[in-house]
Amino acid sequence: MIVLKLVETAVLLTAGHLFTHRALPSLYVKTGAALGFDMKLAPHWEKRIKRFKTIKRGYYSFLIITTLFVMSLFLEFMVNNKPLFIRYGSKVSFPAVAEWTDQLLFFKAPRPMNMKADFGQIGDDEVDYRLFAAARKDPSLFDSQAKALEAEIGEIRRQLAVKPAPRATPEELQDYRDLQEIVPDIEAELKALAEAKSMFAAGKAAILMPVYPYSPREHLLDMPGRPPHRPGNDHLLGTDDSGTDVFAQLVYGFRTSMSFALIVSILGYLIGIVVGGVMGYFGGWTDILLQRFIEIWASIPFLFMLIIIASMVQPTFLLLVSLIVLLQGWVGISYYIRGEFYREKSRDYVHAAVAMGASEWSVMMKHILPNSLVPLVTFAPFSIVGTIGSLVSLDFLGFGLPVGTPSWGVLLDQGMKYLKYYPHLILTPSIALAVTLFMVVMVGEAVREAFDPKVFSRLR
Amino acid sequence: MHGMITYFIRRLLLIPVTFIAITFLVYFMLRVVPGGPIEQAQLQIKMAMMGEGGSSGMASEQGELQIPAAAMAELKKYYHLDKSIPEGYARWLWGICRLDFGRSYVYSEPVLDVIISKFPVSIYFGLIGYFASWLICVPLGVTKAIRHKSGYDTATSIIVFLGYSIPGFVACLMLMVLLGGGSYLDILPLGGFRSENWAQLGFFAKIADQLRHTAIPVLGYVMGGFATMTILMKNSLLDNLGADYVRTAFAKGLSENRVLFVHAMRNSLIPMTVGIGHALGLLFAGSFLIEKTCNIQGMGLLSFNSVIQRDYPVILGTLVFLVLIRLMGNIFSDVVWALIDPRIRFGK
Repeated sequence: MIVLKLVETAVLLTAGHLFTHRALPSLYVKTGAALGFDMKLAPHWEKRIKRFKTIKRGYYSFLIITTLFVMSLFLEFMVNNKPLFIRYGSKVSFPAVAEWTDQLLFFKAPRPMNMKADFGQIGDDEVDYRLFAAARKDPSLFDSQAKALEAEIGEIRRQLAVKPAPRATPEELQDYRDLQEIVPDIEAELKALAEAKSMFAAGKAAILMPVYPYSPREHLLDMPGRPPHRPGNDHLLGTDDSGTDVFAQLVYGFRTSMSFALIVSILGYLIGIVVGGVMGYFGGWTDILLQRFIEIWASIPFLFMLIIIASMVQPTFLLLVSLIVLLQGWVGISYYIRGEFYREKSRDYVHAAVAMGASEWSVMMKHILPNSLVPLVTFAPFSIVGTIGSLVSLDFLGFGLPVGTPSWGVLLDQGMKYLKYYPHLILTPSIALAVTLFMVVMVGEAVREAFDPKVFSRLR
Repeated sequence: MHGMITYFIRRLLLIPVTFIAITFLVYFMLRVVPGGPIEQAQLQIKMAMMGEGGSSGMASEQGELQIPAAAMAELKKYYHLDKSIPEGYARWLWGICRLDFGRSYVYSEPVLDVIISKFPVSIYFGLIGYFASWLICVPLGVTKAIRHKSGYDTATSIIVFLGYSIPGFVACLMLMVLLGGGSYLDILPLGGFRSENWAQLGFFAKIADQLRHTAIPVLGYVMGGFATMTILMKNSLLDNLGADYVRTAFAKGLSENRVLFVHAMRNSLIPMTVGIGHALGLLFAGSFLIEKTCNIQGMGLLSFNSVIQRDYPVILGTLVFLVLIRLMGNIFSDVVWALIDPRIRFGK
């Protein structure tokens, strides 16, 4: 059983790696070429990339972290309580795929869920897919269910055998009538069970569950004992105090953190490049005024501002992204860009471009910017590290992403409550955070080394 | 030298401008954002009336609760919110100039007293943390530079990068789980400044108790600047080791230790002082994340709680200290820098 899971995981990881590092790059190059762009790298960039690849620890960290991130975009297919595919009689459905596309097309109303009655289960809410899969493997589940129902019906019949006394109160009469009404319901359930059993036996039911069949948004309250649960066989890293699987939260939290940091970095870069470029290119009073402004802006305790705003409106993913970008994300990079533009603007090619009548915007963005990319690239991993840190601390304080979003900070906050008795609630998110950020830092260090090499010569 | 003095004077003169801009921005935000003390008072009255039940509760359900205009004006006056934003700000600023920070809504004490009562704890942890990071980072950076590209260098680099990737408060949490009793070792207490029975302890027991409470938060503080300081130390020493004057010193026939510690070290320590301004800010303001995780009642936690409780005078009061310290700290670190490194000339 465990071996099978390991093999499945290994296959998934390999597929993820091939997709991320073989299929995606070639797709990128091919579409670019088809659109008429020159997709060949400039020689000095080729050299830098080659140098980056020779720094093994950074290169492998890069491979791992990008593979994991690209795979995490498809997490609904791997860690979910909904199956990839389910068939019952003539009904076929792809619940995990539906969930994934619903998230992608978030502006559309989500698809209706599969009801239990349509898939041979008793009840009127969503299908319990794990139960379905278990029954598929072990049909005796039906027998034990049926036995329980039969015991219940037997008990009711025994109670019904005693007719109410002629002088019974209205309440007693009502109870008796209620019991009478339950009987046909249970009989119908028994019939449904038998029908489902025969369907399963005839091979008309099929299901394909994800590798890790738990979702970060479900509360597993019917487990024995009270949540939080310690790590065990079913739940690799246990559950939190609302009975939600910790491992599922961790992997979804990885996706949230990484995509959050990426979006914040990219948007922050856009603003930072424009502001820093204007400061460096125009210099003089523009520079002085903007510098004053940035000094003031950077001195505002941004975490406090975020908290004040967050207590006013419930922050959504997008609102939080824009707030962090506006308050903090663009400041660091604008300094770097300002310095680069200061240095580059006195170069001959800039004068040449100006002399040929290029507009100021085009001199800045088309001529100077491509020559000042090195600090941008080397700064990026560290910007990601910083943003993830901010997100985790915000979530930890309870002013981060909306409640219910799987996140590392929320787990840490919970862990603080159970510091003494449930260390896994602290240790697992901390280790996930440390490992992720460590790999990003390794990438950043290698990129810096490869793009901006510093040779130390010393006399021994 | 003359040019430098005017340069620093000009920078000092800029402090009030920046200070006013920052505080006005925050004051403006606080006044504009809903959920202030008036609304909270309204909410409390509403809750109280709902709690009473009966007829008054029914009345408040039917219409939006209206506080009588007179009471409202009284309330606004009490919270100093009866003036327009510019006038209110001017009054507040005038108060600051006379060291009158107003009264805290929550503690109903003068803000200055509240802040001063929290100061010592923050300074205690901040100072120890700052010296501890020098004590750890300088030797580590120096040995890393001497054995550049050796196995030792790689191994310690891993530790340094790990330190960079774990936020200080997360490290505190992990240490509390591992060392604070419960599942693993039971060596250190779970936060707090001192034990409750501190007063009854003997002299040595007092010291031991204080140290035990200091260990985890200080480690969190150290983690904050650990990686940057170590790498800065290493790189600046490496830079200097490649410089001509080091070559000359070697050529004179000086021993390696003498060249290293007398010549190169002195110059390599200069860039380390750049962080003093920032460190000063941390020293006084504390890191509220660490103070929250370790349950230390310092400045950081005070300002965090004041934001949550909308204690406007305290928010603004701590902001005053934070901004002034940071602005002065930046200038201070530049002055220090210019004093110890005669090559640095500002204002040219």
